[in-house]
Amino acid sequence: MIQALFIALSAFGLLMALGTVFARNLVNAALFLVAFFFVIACQFVLLEAEFMAAIQVLIYIGAVTVILMFGIMLTRNIQGDETTTVSKRWRLLGLGAFGTVCTVLVLGINAYQPWTDLAVRPEFPVTKDSTTPRGQAILSMTPTVGREMMTRYVVAFELAGLLLTAALVGAVVLAQHDSTDIVNAKAEKPGTEPAVTGS
Amino acid sequence: MVYNYIFIGLLILVAAAFAAGPLVAVALLSPKKRSATKSETYECGVLTVGESWVKFRMQYYLYAILFVLFDVETVFLYPWAVSYGGLGFFALIEMIIFVVMLLVGLAYAWARGALRWL
Amino acid sequence: MSPFDMTMTPETNLMLAQSIYYDKVDLWLWIRWGLYLFAGFFGVFPLIVAYIVLAERKLAARFQDRIGPNRVGPFGLLQPFADFIKLIIKESIVPKGANGFVHLLAPMLTLISAFLVLAVIPFGVGLAPVDLPSGVLYMVSVSSIAALSIFLAGWSSRNKYSLLGAMRGVAQLVSYEIPQVMSILPVILWAGSLSMVSIVQAQQYDQGWFIFSPPGILGFVLLLIASIAEVNRAPFDLPEAESEIIAGFHTEYSGMRFGLFFLGEYLNVFAVCCLTTTLFLGGGSLPFQSYFAGRAEHMLAAPFDASKDQILKLNAHHEFPLNPGSGFRIEITNEAGRSEAFQVSHRTGNDLYLLANRPVDFQAGANARVTAAARPDFASPWHFSNLIMIPVFFAKVFFLIFVMFWIRATLPRMRADRLMAFAWKTMVPLAIANIFLGAIWYEIVIRPAGGYGHKLVGWAVTGPLTLAAIALVFRINRNSYQANDPERRPTLISRTGESLLAATTQGQ
Repeated sequence: MIQALFIALSAFGLLMALGTVFARNLVNAALFLVAFFFVIACQFVLLEAEFMAAIQVLIYIGAVTVILMFGIMLTRNIQGDETTTVSKRWRLLGLGAFGTVCTVLVLGINAYQPWTDLAVRPEFPVTKDSTTPRGQAILSMTPTVGREMMTRYVVAFELAGLLLTAALVGAVVLAQHDSTDIVNAKAEKPGTEPAVTGS
Repeated sequence: MVYNYIFIGLLILVAAAFAAGPLVAVALLSPKKRSATKSETYECGVLTVGESWVKFRMQYYLYAILFVLFDVETVFLYPWAVSYGGLGFFALIEMIIFVVMLLVGLAYAWARGALRWL
Repeated sequence: MSPFDMTMTPETNLMLAQSIYYDKVDLWLWIRWGLYLFAGFFGVFPLIVAYIVLAERKLAARFQDRIGPNRVGPFGLLQPFADFIKLIIKESIVPKGANGFVHLLAPMLTLISAFLVLAVIPFGVGLAPVDLPSGVLYMVSVSSIAALSIFLAGWSSRNKYSLLGAMRGVAQLVSYEIPQVMSILPVILWAGSLSMVSIVQAQQYDQGWFIFSPPGILGFVLLLIASIAEVNRAPFDLPEAESEIIAGFHTEYSGMRFGLFFLGEYLNVFAVCCLTTTLFLGGGSLPFQSYFAGRAEHMLAAPFDASKDQILKLNAHHEFPLNPGSGFRIEITNEAGRSEAFQVSHRTGNDLYLLANRPVDFQAGANARVTAAARPDFASPWHFSNLIMIPVFFAKVFFLIFVMFWIRATLPRMRADRLMAFAWKTMVPLAIANIFLGAIWYEIVIRPAGGYGHKLVGWAVTGPLTLAAIALVFRINRNSYQANDPERRPTLISRTGESLLAATTQGQ
């Protein structure tokens, strides 16, 4: 049953991805992308990684989509119907690239594990291993992620924090660069007001 | 564990149907008298002036970026909080370092006036 | 005072009766889900929400020294149905050029997000519709879809005021989502799990309500304020206020489409109050129930090690309703913190036989300290304590909803810039400080003895720290309240230093 669910979900996801690429209006394309993010979250659930699924929805649909929408509105006249078109020459090249990628993927996956063996998801048997850390990791992901993040991957974690801070500082610097400075000006003494004083 | 999410999927479908139900009833029961005046966009009763777009301000984008960064920080904080019971004191120190780095970023944005909404 | 005498010996293999973990979808589960969906979600909850709307109108009226709607039924009790019929028979007007599909999608997204939040909340023992192991994270991610729906509503209306209101609304929602998710972190820290059912169990049996601690009080207040802002209610209802920017993002919504938005907003209010109750008020449990929980400590006669499909024999010499099907199960915790729950298979006299359907390994050494406690079996919904827990849960939820109505009737609307400043400059630092206060409370109270630790010491240490954090944050913010200082009015100044408002008056 999971296999049927996976196939249906993947087909739907492919349709959404195609919609993203071929949509005329940019915001429609962004909506197709939101649906595609949701399909990715469902795939994570099928892989029993529900922590990743929740984060996918939270970060991608919740935050990245908002940035995308604001970015679209920053650079375009969104209510006007500016369409994005691709010239014929690039379309052929695009199709060729897509065909190449598909061939490489199919041959590569098939070489690693034949298609016929993927029909049955391996059951995770409840054995003595359920109590080991690896067993616990498969049964519940979030505490394992926390534990590993704090013990084995600490340096990567701190570097990620550094990267986030750098992004924040960079965003502030870039955004302030070309807007008028809005500062608090202490009002001058009443006698020296240059503007017209209404009485 | 996957089977729990089947309920969630069903819930989404039935909620969408539940929301669509009254709209179907509206399509069946309501009058449909279209007119040019009714379909115009609303601007306090006068005809619309100007293009239908707004001058975008940088504040919106800055708030969105700040939200993304603090959201990612929250994503790091959740597994730490769940596994805090089994970790030692060093985990607390590491998380304090991480959060202080982000607080320094917030303080910088604050001091530069990026958090002002005028 | 020890209900159990732990002489546990593994009996020889007996077949399992049933699994207490719902690994497979069987007919009983489908029936349960069907009941939840159709009787609960789409029967009871919309009715509750409709009457919440009526209650708000009548309460707001009472706050304003008048009577609310009282014409339609006795005391106006049929008003929601009258409103529903009115909304259905109105013409639905869509502005020309608007994207019809997105115009419809926006209120549906709000409704769907509210229903999905309600899907993980435990309304009683065994009454959470689904018990996700990552329930809190799931709930947080689902409630972040609401921002998207507001933007879609504003964009699809082809109205620049609608769009402006929607962008402001998205900025507000996005700003208050950070304090909302961060204020939940101390709760997760204390409960040690993301599952809502575990959080309620921790409050019910181990630690008491999470609000009875300084970081808990601060977290509760932060969550409540952030949630009020998240559902666009006063005093944070700038995006949808009728006098502000026409009507914000739902200007072009009329008839039932507006009705769906309205329903979605009040459903969100209900969902968010249920959430706050579950996380901080111990959803369904009585205030000091954890002091009466049956905990007892014993020394193991011999460490045991059972593999799957075995039966463990436990000698229980206390009269306790521990029969199979009574809805109780035995949870055994060793000193390393590992705990396993066992379902009661059968009982002969004072001998309890427990099913081990997962392998357990309590070979903790000769002096293994093990505690046993009787816990309700959250897998069985027909538990007698639901008769108490469901009314208590709803009493708390309705009290919080009343508080929200009260706040709406009392406080004026916040200005946009003060709203944003409050979120980023006050609430985010407080929420972050609260996390570490929660960690301190954990170290003092919970880690030593699992919730029975030194609560007075915890209050003495974290109480002044909490007050100091609040005072510090407000003091830092004191200087950025420009309205307080008439000499520091903001002016527009260009790069070369000349005032861009020179030609006009200074706004006397």
